[in-house]
Amino acid sequence: MKKEKYNNYLQGLLIGFMALSVSACASDLQTKVAGNLMALSKNQTVAILPIETSDTGQKEMAEMFRLGLYANLKQSKFQLLERYVVDGLLQQNKLTDPANFLTINPMQFGEILGVDAIVFSRINKVERSYLVVHSSIELSVSVQMVDTRSGEILWRAEQTEQDFSGIGKIPTGITTAILAPIQFVTNKFNLRRMTSNMVDKLTSLIKHPSEASEESQFVEPVIAKNATNDLKKIEELQQLKSEWQQALVLDEESELSGFGMEAPEVVAIPASIPVEQNIKSTPVAVKETNRVESEISPLPGKHEIKRSQSAEPIPMNALPTKIAEPIIVIEGVEKNVLPATQSNSAVKQSAPKKPLLYTIQVGAYKTKAYANTLEQFLKRKGYDAFVTRSAKKIYRVQVDRFGSKEDATKLAQRIQTKEKLKNFVTRFSGV
Amino acid sequence: MLLRKIFIFIVLISGLLGGCGTVELTVRKNLDHPNIHPKTVAILPFTLASSAPEDVPAHKLFRECFFNYFSYLGYVDIPLETIDSKLQAAGLRKFKKVLELSPERLRDILGVDAVIKGQVLDTSNFTGGLHAETSIKAKIIMLDLRTGETLWETEHTESTYSGILSPTVVEIIQDQMENVKVHQVLYKTAKMFSLSMIREIPDPSEVWHEKIRLPQITSIETNLKPNQKLHPNDQIYVNLKGDPGLKGSFGIGSWKSNIPLKEIVPGMYSGSYVVQENDEITSALIIGTLKNSQGLAGKRFYKSGMAEIEKTSDL
Repeated sequence: MKKEKYNNYLQGLLIGFMALSVSACASDLQTKVAGNLMALSKNQTVAILPIETSDTGQKEMAEMFRLGLYANLKQSKFQLLERYVVDGLLQQNKLTDPANFLTINPMQFGEILGVDAIVFSRINKVERSYLVVHSSIELSVSVQMVDTRSGEILWRAEQTEQDFSGIGKIPTGITTAILAPIQFVTNKFNLRRMTSNMVDKLTSLIKHPSEASEESQFVEPVIAKNATNDLKKIEELQQLKSEWQQALVLDEESELSGFGMEAPEVVAIPASIPVEQNIKSTPVAVKETNRVESEISPLPGKHEIKRSQSAEPIPMNALPTKIAEPIIVIEGVEKNVLPATQSNSAVKQSAPKKPLLYTIQVGAYKTKAYANTLEQFLKRKGYDAFVTRSAKKIYRVQVDRFGSKEDATKLAQRIQTKEKLKNFVTRFSGV
Repeated sequence: MLLRKIFIFIVLISGLLGGCGTVELTVRKNLDHPNIHPKTVAILPFTLASSAPEDVPAHKLFRECFFNYFSYLGYVDIPLETIDSKLQAAGLRKFKKVLELSPERLRDILGVDAVIKGQVLDTSNFTGGLHAETSIKAKIIMLDLRTGETLWETEHTESTYSGILSPTVVEIIQDQMENVKVHQVLYKTAKMFSLSMIREIPDPSEVWHEKIRLPQITSIETNLKPNQKLHPNDQIYVNLKGDPGLKGSFGIGSWKSNIPLKEIVPGMYSGSYVVQENDEITSALIIGTLKNSQGLAGKRFYKSGMAEIEKTSDL
């Protein structure tokens, strides 16, 4: 009977200790993965970016956390880009502040680092508290893995880890009751151990995404905010470009039928690239990539195309291109040849009555607002730009009038070189 | 006087309770100059001097664990499977024989600048009464295969200890419970060993920062037009200009990757993809990739058109 009582007492004590031991190290982990995470294989490379911290005192923990992430994710299905490569490339691109990483489009990281996905992390809290017979450490982190190819969030996790030492853990003596709490918060090993345990738990799902329960999976693909904004911009830009192209084609047709002139020449397409036959109206795909880049988040130190302050749309051909042979000279009879150095006003003054005048056409649109935007853009640059309306209700943006085709050609070339605007010389038919 | 005694006591107890000593790593050669630092490193199979508790393959476990942490440093570390298959292909199936090979022979087989040799000298796992202890004693060296010199070495014992000196009863019970899971506790000890070592091993990361160069792609072109809808049997053509002599490929968003590009003339890569009946592509950007022999990739997005299949409902 006595023995039974003793056993019960021991069992109770053990259960009590067990409960304490479980509560001693509290952990709160919320993690979700996307189905597409499973599609990552050894062919895909992931970069773990430097960790964002909110306090300089968190640097050591951040370094340990990143080390832990590397060591754990090394066991996953995908490749990891070496840390020194990540850091070196970020440094070369002057991206040294992790606090800015989330504002940068994942696609840009894809191009800068040559990776398929990136891992952003942030240390939210490293808190040590000491109250004579009780001390505690609380750590909190957030992690997000984003696919650079689509902007999809592949993994998102938030974790808080707490541990304490002191009276609650039943000290083995009076001395330890006082010393253990001090030792707990001052010994760096405890922080290292906690961080290591934290990363182990945090990464367990991403190492085995197929084991994710239903509630640990995103119901629908979630796109990172910065990627959503920029993808939207790209789509809008494409929409505008599509309209501009349509307008240009219409205008070219009207020019051809109206004046019997040659159509503007587009950039020569290498014979080895059959695809370009389909994109005649999209002359320089090469630089268009850069154009769009500038429409996305600008990178420090990188050349950015200045957009109009009012955020009005600027036609694609208002942005830099690399066209070597710019202009099509329209056939016509030359009259009143003026010296190249002569000013525009001089041109106007010396023009005889009802002369045959030439102008430079830089754009043509179905929408008047677009034409006006380009007109304003050119006026700000000091050109005598104006908008004319054709019989087919196409708004044409033209620059200056010339008595001679040569003079018009010279300015056209200058606009081409300086402003990177594709253009051609045509007859001036009045405003 | 009393304060001094308390301080000494704290220091002593911290050391005992910590259960993790600092690794004393001896650097044999000054590695300050970038040309001296080995770039590619292979971690050779570790050996085990005596059998580990419950026959846990402690040497394999430690090697894998060490590799995971070592990869954080600025070396190009060769995957363990690659090392093992190269050694096996050279007829070296016994680990001990690998340790006896000359630096020249190792360099011939593995093609790396340096190797790491590891010997697990002793392992222990004991749980009884108030005492629980697990330890790994190992000797690890890095050998420069270009010169035959030892770059650094260490012999260290890493222990996780819990006993009468543990400050709280709960911790004693916790440690006892954990210590009986031999495989897990040995891995945990190996992890703490590796963590302590990584902090001491010379890290050449910063030496390479300025020298890293990804393959360059100067342009990417496709036949995709803005707002174009694709249909089955449509062909997406991709042309890419960049560094010559590399492995070119392109991807359609995250939906499909590694579609090969052929280098038609040096620096000009070309390829295509035919849209299939069951393909489901929504607003996907075309991404061109050039990969070099080290596995570094240069990527470029084509942003002037997106791949999008016309859904039946759109018709």
